[in-house]
Amino acid sequence: MEPNQVKAFAERYLNAYNCQIIKQTPHQLTAKLSIEADQDLVHRPFYWMYVEKMGLPPQTITVNWAFEPEIKQENGEAELLSYGSPRFYQMLQSAQKHGRYVRLYEDSTIPARARSSSKPYDPWLGINYRVSFICDMKKDEILCLGIHLRSGELVENFYPQIRNRKWTSRLPAHRHILPPLMTVPEAVGELEYNLQGYIEQQDLSWVKNAKEQLNQELQQLDAYYPEEWRMSDELHTEKKQRVQETIRQYHPKVEVEVVNAGLFYLDSPPIQLQYPSSTL
Amino acid sequence: METVPIRMDRRWLNDFQKHMESDRGWTSWERFELALEAAKTQMIPDFDTLQSLEHLQDFHPLPHQVETARRVLTEMRGRAILADEVGLGKTIEAGLILKEYLIRGLVKNALILVPSSLVLQWTRELNQKFQIPAVAQKKEWMWDKYNILVASIDTAKRDPHRSHVLKHHYDILIVDEAHKLKNRRTKNYQFVNQIQKKYALLLTATPVQNELAELYNLVTLLKPGHLGQQQAFSTHFVAGKRKAKNEDQLRKEVHRVMIRNKRSDGHIHFTRRKVETVPIILSPAERRLYEGVTQFIKEQYQKGGHMKSLLSLITLQREVCSSRDAAFLTLFKLLKKEVDGQETLPPNVYHLVNLLRETDRQSKVEKAIELVRSIKGKTIIFTEYRATQDLILRNLQANGILAVPYRGGFARNKKDWMMQLFRNRAQVMVATEAGGEGINLQFCHHIINYDLPWNPMRVEQRIGRVHRLGQKEDVTIYNFATQQTIEEHILWLLHEKINLFQTVIGDLETILSEMGSEGDMEKSLLKIMLESESDHEIRHRLNRIGESFDEARREAKVKQDQMDVFIDGAQPS
Repeated sequence: MEPNQVKAFAERYLNAYNCQIIKQTPHQLTAKLSIEADQDLVHRPFYWMYVEKMGLPPQTITVNWAFEPEIKQENGEAELLSYGSPRFYQMLQSAQKHGRYVRLYEDSTIPARARSSSKPYDPWLGINYRVSFICDMKKDEILCLGIHLRSGELVENFYPQIRNRKWTSRLPAHRHILPPLMTVPEAVGELEYNLQGYIEQQDLSWVKNAKEQLNQELQQLDAYYPEEWRMSDELHTEKKQRVQETIRQYHPKVEVEVVNAGLFYLDSPPIQLQYPSSTL
Repeated sequence: METVPIRMDRRWLNDFQKHMESDRGWTSWERFELALEAAKTQMIPDFDTLQSLEHLQDFHPLPHQVETARRVLTEMRGRAILADEVGLGKTIEAGLILKEYLIRGLVKNALILVPSSLVLQWTRELNQKFQIPAVAQKKEWMWDKYNILVASIDTAKRDPHRSHVLKHHYDILIVDEAHKLKNRRTKNYQFVNQIQKKYALLLTATPVQNELAELYNLVTLLKPGHLGQQQAFSTHFVAGKRKAKNEDQLRKEVHRVMIRNKRSDGHIHFTRRKVETVPIILSPAERRLYEGVTQFIKEQYQKGGHMKSLLSLITLQREVCSSRDAAFLTLFKLLKKEVDGQETLPPNVYHLVNLLRETDRQSKVEKAIELVRSIKGKTIIFTEYRATQDLILRNLQANGILAVPYRGGFARNKKDWMMQLFRNRAQVMVATEAGGEGINLQFCHHIINYDLPWNPMRVEQRIGRVHRLGQKEDVTIYNFATQQTIEEHILWLLHEKINLFQTVIGDLETILSEMGSEGDMEKSLLKIMLESESDHEIRHRLNRIGESFDEARREAKVKQDQMDVFIDGAQPS
């Protein structure tokens, strides 16, 4: 991640978390944090405990970030905020912690119709999944799926397709929601079923490879330690431990987590973008 | 078709439904977008491209270090012996590997076992170079509290710490100076063997010192069975204590779990060291003081004085060579002891005090100023004594030369501050401490040894602050030698006899340990200085030390070559 991308993200974060940007230049930024951001970005649990106990008005921290190492050199006071810096890591964690669930209505510019008729919204469930492929190494993939809660129609790349729309968190006047025909758990079940199919279609040579390696190492352990009946208790424990370690090291698995999810009420269905089928 | 277990996390659904029921607690669109972007930023796109490099700040590992990390992660799958020669950066390699696993979420808790003298240094390197939140283990409660701990192996293996360590599952275990694990019957070996770990890195510059069995033990500790059962290994691979058979096959097996980078591979270009002796001639008054002290020591020794006070007298003698100020302090202490309860000073002490008082000039510091002026560039001056340090600083300042002090006792941030000042503003740093953590002065390439430690390792540490990875210039070392004093003898031994200033980094420790008890150079030198009746005798005995150093050097070389042969198959050069 380049310094300008880090800066862009930090700026958006500060705005979204109600911090006050005091000063900024192309490579530097000074801001007074909100309580929420302070608690997440600055590790000082005792201070917050103290403030709460004493009922004091909290004083949040003013941060001074430089985004290029050279700027940091010139300004000793500033803190370098780069892709690898612990503070940026905190920010990424904070963003994920607080950006979990939304319920949003599309804010259409279509002029309100006559009072008598109400325009309907279509209910959709959108879930962004992180799929991790794990053995002794690991890789991730993020899948943005969506499902129409009335027809059960499944949409891949749901988020990219709706991201340019405008949203409001309140149901606008003269609008109503078409009743969903499936519950959220049912919809989630559909999505997971689909995901499973997707995972199984992937190149799973890494699974084969990891299993082979695991078996080979287990065989090596079997050959190294004497037969069960000849082993002392200590040796027995040792072998058992080595076997467990080896399984922990290589055992291939896939873990699916939800990054965030939302109920989206849309004016018009998402338009399928053309993606090569391999990327879903 | 391959099948793989899939775990779908559903814990979120409950929360989500609660929000739906209450229609409260929803987040905003902006925050929703940021969360997804954050997740994408932290996503690991593939199995084998190193992610850690992009995370480093202001620090660039060398190509061989990156390559080593890559191979450990992909080919060796996280269990490896890192056996680079000293000075090539095993710590960096281990740090990179650890960082990569942390980023990938494959390591959440890590234990790093090192000799106690290196605990702080390791912690600091991991913190500073890699932004890894490692903590130095100091108290028992810390075992359960922190995820990434650096601990002394000697502490960890003893109760109550031992039981804490053994109950944890560590995702990675890193052991520095792993040659201390070469014997399976030792507590160290058994302890490390019992620790539950997923990945493991063993770091040592000498995977084999005396016999092949050591290599077998080390590999077996890392991966039991990799070299087969002990009996089979002996029959198949061992021809003699230090001689292997079926060498190609052995090498192949060892190389699957061990990486050894060597200086001769040309990974690193070390610049040259130039050594200059700067003779100092004492003024007549200084001379009288030196002789006075020497005489005093002789008398005390002949009277059969206490060893302890004799040692402080030798110190006094060395201090006179360094500066009047340094000598003054020690003399003052001696005096206090001697005079306790007496009305008048003993005449011999009184005489010394007078001599000290009469010393008007300080020949050495004058020379230092002159030299610093002629060098013009950044210069670090090392001295053994605080009083001398103050004196030098005062004189540099009086001559309009900007200088900063550096001492072991400074708090960490003061040390950093002084380094920064030296880098950006001051021409000179005057340091009393060379060892330990974190002073990297690659931007400076002039060293003045204002006086010399008697322990060669400390001399090497001084030079190592400057002449290290990243130094782009040749380094010039100026050794001050006060003529016709004890100092001249020492410099003669270290420079002329054992060629210390040109010794390759890392070899020195091996050579000194090869020398056995004589390797405790400081002790040997003290003994010589006390016992010798004449300069002639001093020279003679120093010469003998020089010879045994040479012998140890040859012996170390032979062992090194043997090790190289059965690890790399290279013929000794």
